[in-house]
Amino acid sequence: MPETVLTTVPAGWAALAGIVLCTLAFFAAALDSALSARAEGAGRGGWLAPAWSTARLLRQRRRTVVAADTLLLRVGAAGMLVGSFLMVAVIPLGRWTLADLDVGVVWFNTVDVMVWALVWLAGWGANSVHGLVGGYRFLAHGLAYELPLMFALVAPAIAAGSLRVGDAAGAQDRLWFVVWMPVAFVIFLVGVTGFSVWGPFAAALGADVAGGVLAELSGVDRLVMQAGRYAFLAAGAAFSVPLFLGGGAGPFLPEWAWVAVKTVAVLAVLVWLRRKLPVFRPDRFLEIGWVVLLPAAVAQDLVVSLVVVWKG
Amino acid sequence: MGLTDALAGLALRATRVLVVEAPGQWPTRVVLEEKMLRRGWRPAWTPGDADVLAVCGVPGPELAQLVERLWEQMPGPRVRAAVTSPTAVTSALNEAAALLLDTPAHRTDARERAQKPQIPAVMDHGGHGEMGNHGMDHSGMNHGGHGGMDHSSHGGMDHGDTDQPLSGDEDHQNMDHSGTDHGGHGGMDHSSHGGMDMAPEGIPLAQGGEDRDGLGVDVLHLPLGPVLPFWPAGLVLHCSLQGDVVIDADAAVVDGGSHGVGIRSRHSGLVPAAAVRCDNLVALLALVGTQDLAARARSARDALLRGDRAGPQRAVERLHRVVRRSIILRWSLRGVLPLTPADLERHSLPDRCLGDAYDRLLSLVERVRAEVNGANPGAPVGTERVPWDVVPHLVTGLEIGTVRLAVASLDLDPFPAVHEVGHA
Amino acid sequence: MVAAIVFWGLAVVAVAAGVAVFVVDSMARATYALAVSFIAVGALIILLQQSYLGVITILMMVMEMAVMAVYMVMFMGMNPALMPMDMTHGKKTAIGASTGVFVLLASGALLIPWPERRGVPPEDLTNALGLEIMGEKMLVMAVVGPVMVATIVAGVVLAAGRTRYDRLGDDLRRRPADDPQPGGIGR
Repeated sequence: MPETVLTTVPAGWAALAGIVLCTLAFFAAALDSALSARAEGAGRGGWLAPAWSTARLLRQRRRTVVAADTLLLRVGAAGMLVGSFLMVAVIPLGRWTLADLDVGVVWFNTVDVMVWALVWLAGWGANSVHGLVGGYRFLAHGLAYELPLMFALVAPAIAAGSLRVGDAAGAQDRLWFVVWMPVAFVIFLVGVTGFSVWGPFAAALGADVAGGVLAELSGVDRLVMQAGRYAFLAAGAAFSVPLFLGGGAGPFLPEWAWVAVKTVAVLAVLVWLRRKLPVFRPDRFLEIGWVVLLPAAVAQDLVVSLVVVWKG
Repeated sequence: MGLTDALAGLALRATRVLVVEAPGQWPTRVVLEEKMLRRGWRPAWTPGDADVLAVCGVPGPELAQLVERLWEQMPGPRVRAAVTSPTAVTSALNEAAALLLDTPAHRTDARERAQKPQIPAVMDHGGHGEMGNHGMDHSGMNHGGHGGMDHSSHGGMDHGDTDQPLSGDEDHQNMDHSGTDHGGHGGMDHSSHGGMDMAPEGIPLAQGGEDRDGLGVDVLHLPLGPVLPFWPAGLVLHCSLQGDVVIDADAAVVDGGSHGVGIRSRHSGLVPAAAVRCDNLVALLALVGTQDLAARARSARDALLRGDRAGPQRAVERLHRVVRRSIILRWSLRGVLPLTPADLERHSLPDRCLGDAYDRLLSLVERVRAEVNGANPGAPVGTERVPWDVVPHLVTGLEIGTVRLAVASLDLDPFPAVHEVGHA
Repeated sequence: MVAAIVFWGLAVVAVAAGVAVFVVDSMARATYALAVSFIAVGALIILLQQSYLGVITILMMVMEMAVMAVYMVMFMGMNPALMPMDMTHGKKTAIGASTGVFVLLASGALLIPWPERRGVPPEDLTNALGLEIMGEKMLVMAVVGPVMVATIVAGVVLAAGRTRYDRLGDDLRRRPADDPQPGGIGR
């Protein structure tokens, strides 16, 4: 396996990584509201609407409801934003990375599992029926997408012979993984939308339960939870680049620029899809996850393993 | 001060409005939604997310009480807007915008209002008809026998031999039950449940009951409506939930349906039937989660109300094509509340309700299409009405998301029954 | 030095969160106090440079607690976050047993003659760990895996109240099956 040379930058650069992640999250929010303003024919509220919404939520007071478990509620809401920062720590930006963890892929997986706890805590803590239903809906979705996602993450790891994210990017010199493991890539994106509680997987925040987990949140609590969702979406999109899209590989531009370009492209597709797809109802999607996605992911792993063994 | 005002100015552009529609105020609400969108304001789904509480029309006593409670639950800065008629929308919104910027007033409001969320003292039956997502709604639960009931829900094994009412309305029965059943908990450490008899923060405990798989699960009581996004205004469905499954439901119209006014009687303009259908289409599509389709249906509705013809025709044509071809939409709605001809007869439902939610969605789009094209004016609104009192019979046993889809797919007419609505 | 501070910090968090499990009065808090305790233990393992074991501990435990929340409502059903309840049962036995186990483990840790380190840790610790644990027993592991899955499936089938005859009719020909909650495939 070809060795990639990754430079681990000093911890101080984490601030820059945070800024990049926030920018990407803002881009996702801006694109979403621009698309929505266009579709709805809104007079105002295009690309800058997230900034206005942020101002609105900063101005709004926090509120709680009777007998709410405020601690758990706020841990759940704020945890979403914190979790997304933990996730980007192992994603290399071209040649640089914050933490060149030898089990980077598992780290990614661990952080995304944290979302299970966070969304549920936010839903439970609000002491409201809608929040509670939302929290459990997320767990139902989680049970459906998480195992396929895990097996999808296994495929690039097998091909690279390493759990290190940098090695996965380096192993795609000749052929991007997305070309010969498309099933894993698609399931990976399903997982990313899943743990970002985004689009088809937003049943936990659905209109039919008046916003579900978000129903009782206001002010800063709502802001961090929403920002966390966008940040997770951005982090997931960014992670697909070293894992499936050849990392920083590409002509003319420097490596970091290619990573940025690919991330933005994947992110834009995910944001755009939200408006096109209905919400997957948890009770129906569970069977899809276990009967379709899981076997597909395992079959993909088998193919990848055979190729790796055959090529020696 | 400069920064605060700048923040308020920016925040104003993303204002969210909780819309309360009094029965009969359909046109006001629709005009309000359109005018809001022009400003970039969006509807809020809950009081927790709302800056403005816009009340369309004059609410009756029951609804007025609910509006007060919704107002209590808004985080602030908060502003009330009374939108009495479609023509008053613009001025009401302008006024709300001006009030939102008045930071000192909001500071005073924040100081003077109740600092802690509370359960209102009066807990009459009509008192919990709001969004149903607050602690307050638990207050409407009427569970008398908390003490013993909670033990049984812990044990999970004592349900077989009890006939406790699921609705929890009959307190004396529960108390009996709690008195006799303690013996069955031999293995449980009673002292460890020391606080069981209390109702924390005045909220009685939920009571257990067997769910459809035979497990002991708490019963929560959740009123759906009358203030709920994408829900027929004025309808209140008092649901008993186990998990997210509705095990029992009871329907009512807010203020007994007596307070509202006919859509037509207050205003001279006629409401095109197709616009009403389009609005119901918006609700169904929004609940399924297809945002673009819902937006398209909404702009068709607004165009119809403006008297436009060509625009809606194109939009509805395209909508029809997409709905008919979308595999994933079909997957989402197939099997939701399937109704056979026998069901229709039993509940005296019109023929258009035949099939499942996807069939009804298709039929709804097709009727809108026919009406917009003027080829077949179809039956006027009101002659093929779905009676709202059948809703509880239809939704019992369904999961709450399915209930919402099922109700939206029935294409109910706005309250009060608008047979007086004319045809454009 | 830094490592020592982090180690002790995490150790205190792990123990404190473990104590919190029995002190807090709500099931949700107890569940996630346990998760925090395990996360601290996972971080300790990472500190011992067994990244894979550490990270996987955190992953498994958080997921497990989330799934436990499902069972919590299924069997215990409670108003969300409302009812204060004691998290301890059978105190005397539990305290006796846990003190005994603690003394046993602690004295073991203190009294055992720990070996000196010989050589240096291998380049790829995760790989080495995998070989150490699985190495010669790979065939056994490969067989055990499917057997475990089969056991789970068989257990669920035996426990389920409904059989295929309920779903598909006596001649097993009914399509789609008659289920109280239809799935997404339409079988």
